[in-house]
Amino acid sequence: MQAPIISVKNLNKHFISYKKSPGVMGSFTSFFKRNPITKEAVKDFSFDVQKGEIIGLLGPNGAGKTTLMKMFTGIIVPSSGELKILGTNPWERDKNFRKKIALVMGQKSQLWWDIPAMDSFLLLQKYYEVSDSDFNERIEKMSKLLGVKDLLHIHVRKLSLGERMKMELMASLLHNPEVIFLDEPTIGLDLVAQDNIREFIKDYHRKNQCAIIITSHYMQDVQALCDRLILIFDGKKGYDGTLDDFENILGNEKVVSFTFNEPQLNDYQILNAYKPQWSEDKTQVELRVCEEDLRSLSSTIIKNYPVTEFATDKMPIERVMKELMNNPELLKSQLV
Amino acid sequence: MKHYLSVYKKFVSTSISVETSFRTSFILLIIMDLFFFLSTVASVTFIYDHVSMIGPWQKDQLLFFLSFMLMIDNLHMMIFSQSFWEFSNHLKTGQLDYIILKPMSTIFSVFFRHFRASSLFNTPLFLGSLIYYGLKVDLAPTQWCLIPFLLILGLSLLVVIEFILSTSMFWLTDGIGINFLRMQMQQLARWPSFIYQGVIRKVLMTALPILLIGSAPVNFLFDSSHWPLLAGMILCLVVFSILLNFVWSRGLKRYDSASS
Repeated sequence: MQAPIISVKNLNKHFISYKKSPGVMGSFTSFFKRNPITKEAVKDFSFDVQKGEIIGLLGPNGAGKTTLMKMFTGIIVPSSGELKILGTNPWERDKNFRKKIALVMGQKSQLWWDIPAMDSFLLLQKYYEVSDSDFNERIEKMSKLLGVKDLLHIHVRKLSLGERMKMELMASLLHNPEVIFLDEPTIGLDLVAQDNIREFIKDYHRKNQCAIIITSHYMQDVQALCDRLILIFDGKKGYDGTLDDFENILGNEKVVSFTFNEPQLNDYQILNAYKPQWSEDKTQVELRVCEEDLRSLSSTIIKNYPVTEFATDKMPIERVMKELMNNPELLKSQLV
Repeated sequence: MKHYLSVYKKFVSTSISVETSFRTSFILLIIMDLFFFLSTVASVTFIYDHVSMIGPWQKDQLLFFLSFMLMIDNLHMMIFSQSFWEFSNHLKTGQLDYIILKPMSTIFSVFFRHFRASSLFNTPLFLGSLIYYGLKVDLAPTQWCLIPFLLILGLSLLVVIEFILSTSMFWLTDGIGINFLRMQMQQLARWPSFIYQGVIRKVLMTALPILLIGSAPVNFLFDSSHWPLLAGMILCLVVFSILLNFVWSRGLKRYDSASS
């Protein structure tokens, strides 16, 4: 097995901020006396990434995902622990290391706001010493794939969020990085734009076999792109494994939905054991049924009630995630 | 070096593209610089209408000194001033993240990033003034040859001190106070060292050697026996450059970045 491209061991990061009471008095008090608060943003985090892997880093707001990304790219320095990306300590900010990585932040822009994206790309070409032929070829390919060829000479401030994000992606990939960090690259985008960007990333990865770490709030991003999922709660790693295993984390339950031809106003005792979720008009119910009970329960309901439609599906990843966020103790058995 | 020059060329062209997008602002900046030049020269001329000497210098000598400092000021405005203000904003908003990711010296990426093209339009005026008063004080050919190097030396010392001051923003986060302090420091340096006395003069010639920026080169030009001042200036530049590298790397380690 090859040496990991990213190696993280017992990584910790804490930030110190100050507590301030509201109002003028609070301002005066905190001007003279500050009450420092230490926030443990990342706690004892360890994992490895191999060349060509795409990893989804998921967690609620404030869990520490972006802090991890910033440590991986060398923007901030870890408080303790070991971190090697491509064999280098990122915070040493070695120039060769910086040439091999890329970071895209959905909420921040690296493009110059008041000029067309193409001008920013030309500046990046010089930064990363990309030859003219490579530069032109990559711009041509990426702009075509992302459908932004006609927008390259429009001022960035005039672009829509989706268009700007496509340009941000192009800007980050111009130098053909070996490791790509994508911090919520689809945030705030409409469904079509999200889909375009996912397809682009997938295609780019297939052709370049680079390692990608992606953080996102959208499960579709993870489902579409990632082989492996890492869950982070309150700075700690909660889960590290495949997407399939993650979907089974709450057991081998399926989601089964039944649609009836008229509102069902009676209380069905038989359903109560399967956590029923009724639609507002009481014509549809969704149940969580373990695989062993699926056949018998379904046939009983179909036989005894006016069922018009019946569907079964795996437990949606969103629901697993929501359940785990509400009950992080469920992960204790999964802790790595 | 070639790499840095090619990036700097792009910084300049990108900044020009940005600045010329806002025409009125571009013209107002030119006018503002012009007013600044005229008010400085007019105030010194007015004083000399009432006295024949200020300290050891006559009118033309002081105006040569002022022209030298205004030329440094013009170069400073053109090459660095915008970056100091942007640095403060970038630190607060976390935009600095992208800048320090670039595969170059972070000091270069941060402080050479914004070129102010509008100041270029006033350069002939500042240069003309320097040549005019240089002729008035009868500079010899060798002294003329030294002027470009002395200007670069003066500008270098000024910006290295300012870089160090700006580095404190990593700890303070808000940079407005530091930027105003920087501007006041430039204001102090705009006058010859002999107008300051006692402890203040000593501090401003050694610990915070901003008076050396103009006084050391101009005194040396007027009288080469003042070479120790120039040597002191070069020494300060070396010491402060080493200090800058040290505090800058500490500052980068301290950088927390703004949350997204």
